[in-house]
Amino acid sequence: MLIEEVMHPDPITISPETTLCDAYALMQEKGIRHLPVVEKDRLVGIVTDRDLRLATSRLAKRPFEPDAEVKNIMSHPVQTAHPNDPIEIATQTMRELKIGCLPVEDEFRVVGIVTAADMLDAMMRLTGVKRPSGRLDIRMSDKPGELARLAQLLSDRKVNIHSILTYPEAEDQARLVLRVNTMEIRTLAAAICDAGFEVLWPPHISCAE
Amino acid sequence: MAASYLMCRVIYHPKYQAYDLGPEHPFSPLRVAMLLDLLHTYEVQVDFLEPLAATQEMLLEIHDPQYIQIIQEASAGKKIAHAEHYGLGTADNPIKEGMAEGALFQVGGTVLGAKLLMEDQTKKVLQLGGGFHHAHPGLAAGFCLYNDLALAIKKFTKFGWHVAYLDIDVHHGDGVQEMFYSNDKVMTISLHESGEYLFPGTGWIHELGRGMGRALKLNIPLEPFTEGTSYLKVVEGVVEPALSWFRPDVLVVQAGADAHFSDPLADLLLTTYDYERLFHKIIEMADQSCKGRILFTLGGGYAMAATVRIWAILYYVLHGWELPDRLPAEWRQRWQKKIGKPLPEYLHDRLPAYDPIPRKEEIERANRQLIQRIMDSVAADWL
Ligand SMILES: [Zn+2]
Repeated sequence: MLIEEVMHPDPITISPETTLCDAYALMQEKGIRHLPVVEKDRLVGIVTDRDLRLATSRLAKRPFEPDAEVKNIMSHPVQTAHPNDPIEIATQTMRELKIGCLPVEDEFRVVGIVTAADMLDAMMRLTGVKRPSGRLDIRMSDKPGELARLAQLLSDRKVNIHSILTYPEAEDQARLVLRVNTMEIRTLAAAICDAGFEVLWPPHISCAE
Repeated sequence: MAASYLMCRVIYHPKYQAYDLGPEHPFSPLRVAMLLDLLHTYEVQVDFLEPLAATQEMLLEIHDPQYIQIIQEASAGKKIAHAEHYGLGTADNPIKEGMAEGALFQVGGTVLGAKLLMEDQTKKVLQLGGGFHHAHPGLAAGFCLYNDLALAIKKFTKFGWHVAYLDIDVHHGDGVQEMFYSNDKVMTISLHESGEYLFPGTGWIHELGRGMGRALKLNIPLEPFTEGTSYLKVVEGVVEPALSWFRPDVLVVQAGADAHFSDPLADLLLTTYDYERLFHKIIEMADQSCKGRILFTLGGGYAMAATVRIWAILYYVLHGWELPDRLPAEWRQRWQKKIGKPLPEYLHDRLPAYDPIPRKEEIERANRQLIQRIMDSVAADWL
């Protein structure tokens, strides 16, 4: 999944001369919390609702007036993403730098924006949780052919896989979380158990044999 | 008042049997064949009204035109490209010739039930089919093709009625909920085993409806291994106040029997006694909240021996008859041979029906908290 599949295209932007007051009003009106600051088609900064509130707080040492310009308080340079970035890379950037949003730049033009909420939406799509399905959690040996063997078993039973997530565990084992379109999740889980995989979810599955 | 007005009207058509997804498929038409034969063997009154098949025009009220066409073609034996895009050709929804016709008659049955109620011909309808709560506008799912329930509910709302939909099938009634998610004339209530692993994986308590439909969609995801007593407390704690607050004009009930303890597809632990109490309770709630107007459909239920008994109990309860004790020996012999499984001697389960549940207290506590959480989350809207 790439950034361009989850980003909001053509985000609302402001100029460095926009006042704090206008920027705040715009956020309220549009229900957003991040505004990229653009000058001559180039991204020059970003302001968040938090930046605005901190800058104008009476608790600040030298609070800004509402008619101050955003260029005085914006963050820059701005961390950005590219439309072709895999979402996991962008997620990593956001977590490591502790930021809640990334403007998306293509050839120095702002073409979109992604926020942490978009990453959660992406997570829902990746896990297939929005499609009618049952859930399986399986542990298997981390070696070639195991996943193929499981996929074959599902295919033989005409069970469609809506999503499949896999991640490594310690000691040569891999975990697999699948969403599959079957009403007969327990029967299927028992068959998976019979085939030599360890079924962790649904709980208490015993092999048929 | 004519006697038939007070009596429960039963709907069925032999063509229902054509909705047959194959001998290995759990959604077997034999369940209703066994039920009818059981009623005949008991020599009780069995006269049903035969519906017409649902028309294309009716289906269009609920389903996408493209989807309707694909199902007709698949059912006529035509090869379908991208069948899986429509949820077809899977283990749950295999393509079988003639399946559309069977489904159309069953949809027609639920529609006829709605018509009888709107024309005030009766107060209680039992439709011996339908209940396809997993069908979506353009997607077959969970053994369902066309959503008969949604269609009947839509007919009622067009008639100007407020409708309460109660889904006691063990699976979440996702298709029906979704189609009325922002509708303020329809309350949907689904009691089901939690979707933590069970299909369709939805039906969480935060799903409360959108916009005008807010706080009108209730979900009661029960802990696996929930027993009857705990189940009925939840009905009293959530369903009863919901219906008395909403005051619908009619109650539509999807009476799937797959919450029975012996059901192979899920893990709730209702016994036939719990079902009998539940059916009485539902009728009582309809009497109190909507002048007794009620439309029952069937639904899931995959332990054949249990499903048939539960629906027989429903039939008796709706007619106000005393339940027979034993299952007729000749009926048992006849069907044991056909289904290759033993059938019990009695209509009701023998108690205790299963071994004690080690987590019983924990489960009951979780379900009590569930009642509280649901009621808290709608309190502000139910003024
Ligand atoms: Zn079900």
